Amino acid sequence: MVQRFVRLILWSALLMLTACATRMTDPLAPMSMPPEDTLNGSAAETLWQQAVIAREQNQLSAAGRYLERALYMQPESSWLYRELAELRLREDDPKTAEVMAQRALRLAPKRPAYQAALWQLIATARARQGNDDGAARARLEADMLMRRQQNR
Amino acid sequence: MSASRKSPVKKKSPSRKASPGPSAAAGIRWRRLLWQLLLVGLVISLLGLAWLDARIRQRFDNHQWQLPARVYARPVELYSGREMTAQNLDQLLSLLRYRLDSAAREPGSYARFDGGVLLHTRGFRDSDGGEPAQQVRLRIDGPRIGKLTDGSGRPVPVARLEPLQIGSIHPGHSEDRVLVRLEEVPPLLVHMLMATEDRSFHQHHGISIRGLMRAVFANLRAGEMEQGGSTLTQQLVKNFWLTRERTLSRKLVEIPMALLLELHYSKAQILETYLNEVYLGQDGGRAIHGMGLGAQFYFGRPLAELEPHQFAMLIGLLKGPSYYDPRRHPERARQRRDTVLQAAASQGLLDDKVLSHFRNKPLDVVPKGGSALYAFPHFIDLVRRQLGRDYPPHILASEGLIIHSTLDVLAQLVAEQKLGEFLVPHKEVNGAVIITAPDQGDVLALVGDKSPRSAGFNRALDAQRPIGSLAKPAVVLAALQQPAKFHLGSVVTDGPFQVRMEDGQIWQPRNFDNQSLGAMSVTDALAQSRNQAIARLGLDAGLGEVIQTFQKLGVQSRIPPYPSIFLGSLSLSPFETAVMYQTIATGGQRTPLRSITDVLDRHGQPLARYPVRPEQVIDPAPAYLLQWALRQTMTQGTGRYAVAQLPEKLVVAGKTGTSDGQRDAWFAGFSGSHLALVWLGRDDNGDTGFTGSSGPLRIWTSIMAALPQRPMRLAPAAGVELVWLDPDGKRLSGRGCDGAREYPLIAASIPLQSSACGKVQSVPGGIRKWFKGLFD
Repeated sequence: MVQRFVRLILWSALLMLTACATRMTDPLAPMSMPPEDTLNGSAAETLWQQAVIAREQNQLSAAGRYLERALYMQPESSWLYRELAELRLREDDPKTAEVMAQRALRLAPKRPAYQAALWQLIATARARQGNDDGAARARLEADMLMRRQQNR
Repeated sequence: MSASRKSPVKKKSPSRKASPGPSAAAGIRWRRLLWQLLLVGLVISLLGLAWLDARIRQRFDNHQWQLPARVYARPVELYSGREMTAQNLDQLLSLLRYRLDSAAREPGSYARFDGGVLLHTRGFRDSDGGEPAQQVRLRIDGPRIGKLTDGSGRPVPVARLEPLQIGSIHPGHSEDRVLVRLEEVPPLLVHMLMATEDRSFHQHHGISIRGLMRAVFANLRAGEMEQGGSTLTQQLVKNFWLTRERTLSRKLVEIPMALLLELHYSKAQILETYLNEVYLGQDGGRAIHGMGLGAQFYFGRPLAELEPHQFAMLIGLLKGPSYYDPRRHPERARQRRDTVLQAAASQGLLDDKVLSHFRNKPLDVVPKGGSALYAFPHFIDLVRRQLGRDYPPHILASEGLIIHSTLDVLAQLVAEQKLGEFLVPHKEVNGAVIITAPDQGDVLALVGDKSPRSAGFNRALDAQRPIGSLAKPAVVLAALQQPAKFHLGSVVTDGPFQVRMEDGQIWQPRNFDNQSLGAMSVTDALAQSRNQAIARLGLDAGLGEVIQTFQKLGVQSRIPPYPSIFLGSLSLSPFETAVMYQTIATGGQRTPLRSITDVLDRHGQPLARYPVRPEQVIDPAPAYLLQWALRQTMTQGTGRYAVAQLPEKLVVAGKTGTSDGQRDAWFAGFSGSHLALVWLGRDDNGDTGFTGSSGPLRIWTSIMAALPQRPMRLAPAAGVELVWLDPDGKRLSGRGCDGAREYPLIAASIPLQSSACGKVQSVPGGIRKWFKGLFD
């Protein structure tokens, strides 16, 4: 009972906090691949680079194909899942984007800034699905990770 | 004067004197009639010509070839580090009919060099633009591709072999062809064709008087219509607009049509149409048209890669595709081929040495069953069904769509081989195998019969059979989704009990060994596949929750609302069961199983993509717990055989299943890279003599051992902790404590109480749990 009450208070406070908090970086803004990602230096990196070019030329379908091929070659690459999540957001498919970002998170190295960016991506995907609570929770995770990064 | 004027003689006027008699008048009338008839005939002829002209132009200008959709396997990626043995590479090159050549000069050829292979790939179109034809040099180092360079030694990061065509989609009776442009047709084939069929093609205007005269004399000599004397233009007219009978009336129409055709269209247009139109044979209900498909059908290669003796065979077939069928009448076909080669030599196209060389060559025809076009009928069946949702049949049959599928040819061949080998001594038993890539949901292989080339009953898609203990993970998952009530260490009783159903019947589950083992953890109940324990768990978790879990996992068939479904009285196809396990393998992300990745139009322009679209349907934490429990099934339970056989580092999870009376035996399991499901059963629903462990598990293990593997991930999902529990599962314990076992638990299900042995370390856990509960 006490736990339920405390939980209610906490969540209300956190939702207010995240609502007031300044937005983090744009989830679609370019960021860099973590150096320990399995994609680094692999043959699949070429396909990722081709995907980036295709995406810049707004050939989203081709970009998706490059990324899927790259994932077959490097299935443990968190970065490739992040890129696929971002692509699905651009294609207005936030549901798939969320799942891909979660996969990216599961494989992510212990880098708070990178993980925070993934949570931010999840938040955006959830918000676009109308899941405002879920988006707020994801932003909270991102905020906490960013604070941890700043305290380092 | 007047008398003389009155005289009859005088009365005779000069005109009357000149007028003809009755016969002359009739002659005039006839002549006039003749002129009139001629005039009418001329008008009719002109109208007829105009009608023919319109017919020719209408058909020729608006003609669109009826092209069935073509289905291709997944293109094979080549890159340094990829798992591929020399045997795998040979297998692929053989399927793609690469020709051994000292320098791999032409696309579709390869050369061996010290420790490596130089390939000249054929190139293809894809939604990412595709791949150019290129030379690629690779070395195989043990089970992997080592260095990969281009023909001149520059490193190549990734290259692709062109995809293997594995089928086409067309209605029962239809024309099939592979369109070729004139510039793609080897000039020698064109010259040989003219040498044999129409030597004055470039000189005449549609008909050849010399050819006609020759035919007339030959027919007079024979006393019947033996020769047609037709030019290529006339043959095209005949094929395109007229019937095949040799009658005078047809000839009378054919000639003006040929002239009109030549009047309107260039020689190149006529020749290209001819090369794509000609009838070259029959394959069941499918008519083989055009040189492009003829090359594939008889020689398994693109037209551009054929040799002169093969051109000669194709040209020879024009005279009678059935009579000179090289598969059914090889001797007759060979004679005809040699006649064409001789005709080519007589026109100076081949010198004596070359003629002799090619005359001594065998027919080189691929066996009909040996073509990849017919090799995987059950997978093509799946593609057809999935395509059918988006494209109507007439589009699939006529628009020449290019379908890129998910089929991994090597995985398919492994699945077929392992199922077939295992069932050799068991004549009555048949089976099905499905292999998928869990992350993508791609169907890599699908076998619906132990005779995989047979296009009959597709057991993988259509056999609806009780899934037995393959249902149990859904029961456990339904419980694990209620973390306040159940966890993997929760104790359930494996003992007899009975349930009175709504209809008054008594349901009394029994174990396979007719024994009851008493209290055990949920993990052990699943690992040892205990019916009574799992049935109790299902009842405690709730029938509705279990049904809902089946549905979340992807089961779309009707699920009967009876507790017997806990033990698998539910009938599903192997494919639908694979869908269910796919969701388990991906940690609760339901990924529709796809057999298609891309659809392109006949020119290679992308039309549609079928991207991976997973959906998180089960929370990652309980989904992870189930994976962990299925891992225990492999290490300590009914799947131990596989772990003993497979490499130690290969982490796999799975579940055996056997239905009542051993009528169905199942195994479904997965690594990080592959999910495979094996079902064995008899078409008469009799006893197979197998359990999930003694049959399907063995096949599954041999399949997994033969595929390049990646272990499944074992890192706990967010919100899951590893804790030690007492044997009763209700108190925290510690490493080394009596009977304590370590389980992954969702924070909400971590007990607050702790045993004396594990007290010290359990207290913080309890506090942590309280705080974690705030956020769950």
